[in-house]
Amino acid sequence: MSRWRYFFRRLLLSVPVVLFGLTITFVIVRMGPIDPVAAIVGPEGGGASRGRIEERLGLNEPLWQQYIDFMVNMLTFNLGQSWVIQPGRSVESLLMTYAPRTLWLGFWSVLIAICIGIPLGFYAGLNPNTKSDYLASFGGIVWRAMPNFWLAIIILAVLRQSERFFFGLSWQSLGVSNNLIGQPPLDFIAFTDWITVGIISIPVGVYFSFSTLIESIKQVMPAAIVLGSAAMGNEMRIGRTAVLETINSNYVETAKAKGLRDRVIVWKHVFRNALVPLVPIITNEAFILIGGSVIVEVIFGINGLGYLFFQAAVQGDLPLVGSLMFIFIVLIVSINILQDFLYTVLDPRVGYE
Amino acid sequence: MSMNEFDDKTLRERIADNPQPALAWLAGVLVLVALELGRLASGLVQVGETTRFALGGIASVPGSVEESVASSLGEIAGLVAFGLTVLVLLGIAAILVKWLLIPWTLVDRLGIEASTGVKDIIERVIVTGLLVVAAALVVLTPVGGVLEMAVSALTRGVEWVSSLPTITSRELISNEGYQLPDGSWEGTFLGLSPAVAWALRVAVVYAYALVWLAWLWRGYETFREHYREADWTPRDDSINRLRNHYWGMFGLIVVIMFLVMALWAPAVSPATAEANLYQPYEHEFEYYGDDGVESITHGEANSDSRSQGGDTNVGVMSYDNHDRFHPFGTNTDGKDLFTFLAYGAQVSLVIGLLATVLMAVIATALALITAYYKGVTDLVTIVASDSIISLPRFLLVLLLSVLFMQANHPVAEIYDGGLLLALIFAGTGWPLLWRSVRGPALQVSEQEWIDAAKSYGQSPAATMRKHMAPYIAGYMLIYASLSLGGVIIGVAALSFLGFGVQAPTPEWGRAVYEGQSYIATSSWHIATLPGILVVLLVTGFNALGDGIRDAIDPQSEASDGAAGAAGGGG
Repeated sequence: MSRWRYFFRRLLLSVPVVLFGLTITFVIVRMGPIDPVAAIVGPEGGGASRGRIEERLGLNEPLWQQYIDFMVNMLTFNLGQSWVIQPGRSVESLLMTYAPRTLWLGFWSVLIAICIGIPLGFYAGLNPNTKSDYLASFGGIVWRAMPNFWLAIIILAVLRQSERFFFGLSWQSLGVSNNLIGQPPLDFIAFTDWITVGIISIPVGVYFSFSTLIESIKQVMPAAIVLGSAAMGNEMRIGRTAVLETINSNYVETAKAKGLRDRVIVWKHVFRNALVPLVPIITNEAFILIGGSVIVEVIFGINGLGYLFFQAAVQGDLPLVGSLMFIFIVLIVSINILQDFLYTVLDPRVGYE
Repeated sequence: MSMNEFDDKTLRERIADNPQPALAWLAGVLVLVALELGRLASGLVQVGETTRFALGGIASVPGSVEESVASSLGEIAGLVAFGLTVLVLLGIAAILVKWLLIPWTLVDRLGIEASTGVKDIIERVIVTGLLVVAAALVVLTPVGGVLEMAVSALTRGVEWVSSLPTITSRELISNEGYQLPDGSWEGTFLGLSPAVAWALRVAVVYAYALVWLAWLWRGYETFREHYREADWTPRDDSINRLRNHYWGMFGLIVVIMFLVMALWAPAVSPATAEANLYQPYEHEFEYYGDDGVESITHGEANSDSRSQGGDTNVGVMSYDNHDRFHPFGTNTDGKDLFTFLAYGAQVSLVIGLLATVLMAVIATALALITAYYKGVTDLVTIVASDSIISLPRFLLVLLLSVLFMQANHPVAEIYDGGLLLALIFAGTGWPLLWRSVRGPALQVSEQEWIDAAKSYGQSPAATMRKHMAPYIAGYMLIYASLSLGGVIIGVAALSFLGFGVQAPTPEWGRAVYEGQSYIATSSWHIATLPGILVVLLVTGFNALGDGIRDAIDPQSEASDGAAGAAGGGG
């Protein structure tokens, strides 16, 4: 099977995956042990308000009709509104407020993990079975085994008393002063002026504040390190194996025999090939980030999507839970497709049977 | 010891020929069992109670099905549904009974001629029929009463045995006593200080467990030397590789340490969970106060031994005001942290193992079926597993446990939510395991011996069980031990958020939650120590997985780090 046919088959397969994932969501939200209306109405709500909400949610219809309505609404991105957390506010507007914080957090955690994990792994792979290799490998394994929630509170405790640990250097007043807990300010960039050309709006006036950017990065940094910890350990491990595998391969031997300099061999022949197996690891991170952000966001007080989902689940805002779940499904399925695409482009050797 | 290459004797015959080494080994086992007979018996009682409870739950299923069907479709439909459910349940039981208890085939004995597949079905129908008769006898006739009496007599016997003294019992090496003004200790083992007495008891427990392990290993060696047909099997090489794999051995030792801690939780903890955690106001102990020896309940004493930072703190390796020793200090409400963590290890391991075993069973069954039949079954399983993976696992687990707990669903009350968590983790985790073993399963299904088995007329189930499953089992072991760490972290994370195992059942994540605000104070131990235990245990399982992988398949490399990590997210 050609590579592109394989890719298109995967693409086609993602349609039933989204549909079935949505069905599972429907079963949990509508047929689960909690009645969606009860949480919205509250214990004091009378029968009248109950009936009204049931009608607005379409819960008085037969189950199959509800199912069809739910699927059609979701697939046409008619996401509905929140009922308990911020009653009446549409899911789109909630997403506009909460999603950027999670994206900012996710962006930094992926970046930090890549910037620390891959170089460390490559270093360990280039110097196998030395003391520094053992130190790096063992550190990576322990680092990966740490539960996020525990790591988060330990890091918070250390940073709170950073004067004691880092020779009088206080994290809180380092650079820009801030609180340890809270959401990062995202207003460091804004568009002040728009010009409309035909139907497209183009921003012309841009507001940018460097100090707010620094503050924002500093605010999100500890949370991002915690969130990226598991991925960092994975990247290190896989990076080490990948380098070891390529360095022992025949073409590196040939290059050595040709008399190429070590530096050229490492940069041109080893690193580029060792990056291929890291692609699924990096895309897989996105899975973990979406799920794991709940804990990190709750502990670090960042009002992101994970926090929103947690609140919605705890307070019984089931319509909102359903819509958020749909967004997550779409995100993960698209990341999967991206991964397959990257594989198709990057690694022509693999035969797909 | 085999005389010729094709020795047809069974193991039983080989032992009968040369009984001496086997009897020597068996004598050792009996001595070891006798030393801990009491604890073993109480464990049996617990297992029996759990089984009874589970059977009761299953037995109530047909009734509830009848009720719900009768309310919507009428009485007769309800009765039919009742009968069908009973038949389905007994059918499942029949498969188990046939597999476990009936080693020969009834069909052959009765002389029924049919093709292999039909024979299997007839066999199952016969066993189900026998079970129906047995169930009817128990429910409708006095046989049930007789059975009930026999069971309760047996239970009483085992309970009497469980009151026998054991070498690791708290009474034998007691660490609970009080200090007289002259500094000597009263009530403890040999007048030692409680700290030393406790350490001694822990040492005895671990020594006993170690002797057991050594003896089991010796048993394996005896078997290998005297009773095994072949002088060498590939498994010998695997075991030797594991023995020389330092990282894997480290993992094995860590896992065994935790298993022993969980199994002997009542023995290694300084106070019993009953007295210190569950009903502190109903258990008393003696201490030496201002007016000589007084007695006080654990609950009242606990309120004096709280660890809440500053001066209100009972730290690591210290005594509280009432002469109780706390190896790991106390937690925020004055309960002993080591007791909490030891019983917490029990909870974590039970949930983790239960979830992983369920996951592994589902994943293996599906891998075998999809690899054998391929085509549409494979495609359907791909879509189903991809769909479950496309829901963020931790969020799904969180959502499900929140929903079940807030609705006070009956499942959420068993084991304070532990069973529910195990089911949720198993239900959301099997796709990852299935993905990992699908490759090896497909590989083995292409082998010639599968074709041979098919053309020979062996039934599909037997082919899968005998010729495919052993090949996957090794891989399953690796990935299962990797994903166990993920489940343990996940359960701890849920408990940290307040939706895992509910109080008063101890769970590591809840200890971290309680201690998080005191982490910068003198009571740092409450949140720090459980975290270190989680890291140690998860690292241990990962190391063990690595070791098993290298032992089974030295050529393979770390191909799938995601299987272990993806379970986490906490």
